[in-house]
Amino acid sequence: MDGMADDMDRKRMTRILARADRRDVAALAAEIQKTHAPIVVKEPGKTLAMIKMREPVKESLFYIGETVVCEASVEIGGVRGMAVLMGGDPEKTLDMAIIDAAVNKGVFTGAATLLALEKGQLERIKRENAMHLKTMVNFESMDRGSDDLAADKKTRF
Amino acid sequence: MAYVAVSGGEEAIEESIRLLDFYRSGTDKDLETEAIENKLSLLVDRVMSEAGLYAKTLAVLALKQCEGSMEEAVFLLRAYRSTLTRNYYTRVVDTEGMRLTRRISAAFKDIAGGQILGATYDYTHRLIDFDIGRETPAALRRRIAETLAAQAPEDITPCPRVSAELKKEGLIDGFAQSDQAPHDVTVHTLEFPAGRSARLQTLSRADTGFISGLAYSALRGFGQAHPTVGELRCGYAELCLPYPLDETESVYIGEIMITEVECFNAADGKNQLGLAAGYGAVFGRSETKAIAMAVLDRELEAGGPYPAQDEEFVLTHGDSLEMNGFISHLKLPHYVTFQSKLDAVRKRRSAP
Repeated sequence: MDGMADDMDRKRMTRILARADRRDVAALAAEIQKTHAPIVVKEPGKTLAMIKMREPVKESLFYIGETVVCEASVEIGGVRGMAVLMGGDPEKTLDMAIIDAAVNKGVFTGAATLLALEKGQLERIKRENAMHLKTMVNFESMDRGSDDLAADKKTRF
Repeated sequence: MAYVAVSGGEEAIEESIRLLDFYRSGTDKDLETEAIENKLSLLVDRVMSEAGLYAKTLAVLALKQCEGSMEEAVFLLRAYRSTLTRNYYTRVVDTEGMRLTRRISAAFKDIAGGQILGATYDYTHRLIDFDIGRETPAALRRRIAETLAAQAPEDITPCPRVSAELKKEGLIDGFAQSDQAPHDVTVHTLEFPAGRSARLQTLSRADTGFISGLAYSALRGFGQAHPTVGELRCGYAELCLPYPLDETESVYIGEIMITEVECFNAADGKNQLGLAAGYGAVFGRSETKAIAMAVLDRELEAGGPYPAQDEEFVLTHGDSLEMNGFISHLKLPHYVTFQSKLDAVRKRRSAP
């Protein structure tokens, strides 16, 4: 994607935008609109996405259920962009579509902002993870003299 | 003649609907939707799971609208969902790579990645905390924010499944990945024998009480022997779609909290030396339901004479909307059919 780091693919970009506060996404879209006039191709609207899973017993696919998503599509200088986002936030979805179109057109200049947002998001997630890892159990065998320990080593993986 | 339409009662019905507001109006205190979503999240999870629709904001509104009735909230979500098109199917969700918040095994004490208790009521004293009634929400939030800020960030490390190792050792049968399109019970009628995908989808959106009771019956002797929870994991799984403008790329649309369980039983019949697994996966933090689903998956796979092993019995009686709807219909006027029953009894009594 033009103007982005080599390892910034669309999945990573949309993950950052989806996790971001809507005001941050709006600010990025507003920056684009200062110099470009996006045309809304598809107004934000709700639809469903069916969630496909793979179960580990027979390695087959099944549907666990659906989720509500909002979708929107815009065009900048004849180049399309679109966004699909869980939940029902039409403004944020439209702003994400504008950013997507700007990326496709090669006129997006907010790469550094995306990285800064991602840094903050990852830090929060990693701090939450630290809280959860504090609940990791350290088992100690109560019966070191028996064969149980040997048996236990066999099943340790 | 089984059914005869009756008319009348329109005004009473309208007043009855208005009267529902009386029952919602008992205090000036509001039940803020943000508070329901963040403080009654297990209830919200259950509504989403039984509705088969992961939509927190809508589940919260539904709960508030119907005074917290599970069956009404599920009905509202299902009804809402039926008004929308379905334009997307996600890519296959990678639950092995999910961001774990809890992961335990009752089968092995040492598992790769470790056992993470996460947030659980399992070890709490079940004593009512009377201080909760005087709790200051802002103080609670501030305390947790301070705790979070004090953490040293820890990298997220996905954990392999416990069953993967047993498969490597040949203790559990391994299967080649199948990409056969799943059956969708929301589009196609459930037929018997049901495919595995239809079974799992039906169980995942089933009423929690119904499948928990059935799984309990299997454990108490109306089914196979006591299974072992090989792994129970809760966490956030990412949802991605093919990018509509270039399907070789993916877009992230959000994440869902799910609970996943694998239960192990001794394999029966010809394979006495192996183990067999049952699988459960449900929306939200719903551990009992996920375990019950895994137990029933295995019971249905094995088959047998008990209710929990009867596919048609299990899969056709556990849908919240259908079972509550059918039971509710008993409240509607049956004047003609009941009159006919009454007439038959009177005739029999008066017969010489």
